[in-house]
Amino acid sequence: MAKISDHIFPIFKLTGNNIRRHPVINLISITIISIAMLMLALYFLAYINADRAVSGWRTDLKIAVYLEDDLGAEKLKLLKNFCLELKEVIRLEFVSKDMALQRFKVTLGENSNFLSDLPENPLPASFELLLDDAVAEVADVERLARQLQRQVGVDEVIYGSYWLRQLFSLLKMVKYFGFIFATFLSAVTVFIVASTIRLSLFARRETIKVLYLVGATRWFIALPYLLEGVFQGAVATSFALGLSYAGFSYIRFWLMAQVPQWSMAPQLEFFGFAPLLFFLLLGTLLGVAGFFLSSRWLRNSP
Amino acid sequence: MIRVSHLNKSYNHPDMILKDVSFKVGKGEFVYLSGPSGAGKTTLFRLLFADIKPEGGQIVIDGLDLVRASPAELAGLRRRMGVVFQDYKLIPNYTVFDNIALALEVSGVPRQHIQKRVWHALKVVGIERQIDRLPVQLSGGEQQRVAIARALVNNPRIILADEPTGNLDYEIAEEIMRILHFINSQGTTIVMVTHNRALLQRFKRKVFYLDHGSLQAYVWPD
Repeated sequence: MAKISDHIFPIFKLTGNNIRRHPVINLISITIISIAMLMLALYFLAYINADRAVSGWRTDLKIAVYLEDDLGAEKLKLLKNFCLELKEVIRLEFVSKDMALQRFKVTLGENSNFLSDLPENPLPASFELLLDDAVAEVADVERLARQLQRQVGVDEVIYGSYWLRQLFSLLKMVKYFGFIFATFLSAVTVFIVASTIRLSLFARRETIKVLYLVGATRWFIALPYLLEGVFQGAVATSFALGLSYAGFSYIRFWLMAQVPQWSMAPQLEFFGFAPLLFFLLLGTLLGVAGFFLSSRWLRNSP
Repeated sequence: MIRVSHLNKSYNHPDMILKDVSFKVGKGEFVYLSGPSGAGKTTLFRLLFADIKPEGGQIVIDGLDLVRASPAELAGLRRRMGVVFQDYKLIPNYTVFDNIALALEVSGVPRQHIQKRVWHALKVVGIERQIDRLPVQLSGGEQQRVAIARALVNNPRIILADEPTGNLDYEIAEEIMRILHFINSQGTTIVMVTHNRALLQRFKRKVFYLDHGSLQAYVWPD
């Protein structure tokens, strides 16, 4: 009585033979899939880290409300209460003219002597508003700033929107481009795997003919090629992920060495378990898709 | 065992390759398909192992209608049938053992039985000492014996052989014929394509003679 293993073992044996006896075809295929997966991995690695960094800046988003000089205590209190009643504001700090000057002196350091010669303090008092994390979009910040600007006693509202807006829209573009890029690379990879499988089939047409002669079913003949596609996809993706980890570690090390004061370098992170698994599955699926693209021969065989 | 009725094949060409061919082969028979070059012998042979389909007529082998059979049923029939070719059709980078074992692996024969059965098949054809060689290291006659061993390793009910002696000198061809007749004596039905008149004379059996696509007659060699 034949066991399942007696049917499965020959399929794996044929797969092993196919891979071992046609190393050049497999090497070409693995190299090309590796390059495609490496490009994808590096792209998404850059995107994920940039997105993470900017997300941090989003939560640090502050609004500085500069006040008119000689604002009476009454008006100051009214304005403070107005700011605190805004649901987006989670903290308010009053920076008096003296405190502003003091901060400025600290910022200037040794060059701050000239400030002592000024006849009067030119810096305005301000409220620094820390916003809720939920206010992540620049449009919301802009709306809030306009609302504050209309209040009595407010001289100017600063929230650094321009460069943030540019950065956020750039990231959005990078994200969409990433999906187009990933789709294109995936299609190219599937086409390459399909082509190498077709090459393999051509090189092994006599073997396939013999398999038909001895009574092999279509799937018995096809499965080794499907497994070969899976093998190529999995090995190439593992290799690409290994290379991208090496590249990532080098860049992080280089950044820390070259820009020690840049506090972000240690925060750079590689893919977690889930994205790694996703990439492996994607690579394997591309191999499988390549097989199915090349499998017309299977349907047309006698 | 084999029943062919009103078979037509033209490859979509106005001149028919096979015209209304009908014949029967009984269980345990040894028959020759003979005729001049271009008579349609190879086409008929390919039809018999379902490599191609006819445009008309019916082929029933071991109870299976080849025209209507599914690919899985055809694969099943090929596992119950051995096929031998003039050019041996061995896989060049497989050893003799691997070439023969393949027919058993395809059938899901347990691994522990494969070695014994391959050895037995090689013993029948007399080349058990070449088991680890590659086809390229064997003579033509030895390669044909490997092909016959592969055909008989599954204990088939039928063996189809297309000019199995075509590439061999007469002495070796005689040895191959003796092996095929021995296999036939064990109960296996054999259909052999040949145009070698000397062999037909030497090993007399029923002959189906094809000429210009028509089965002329059942003739017995003088």
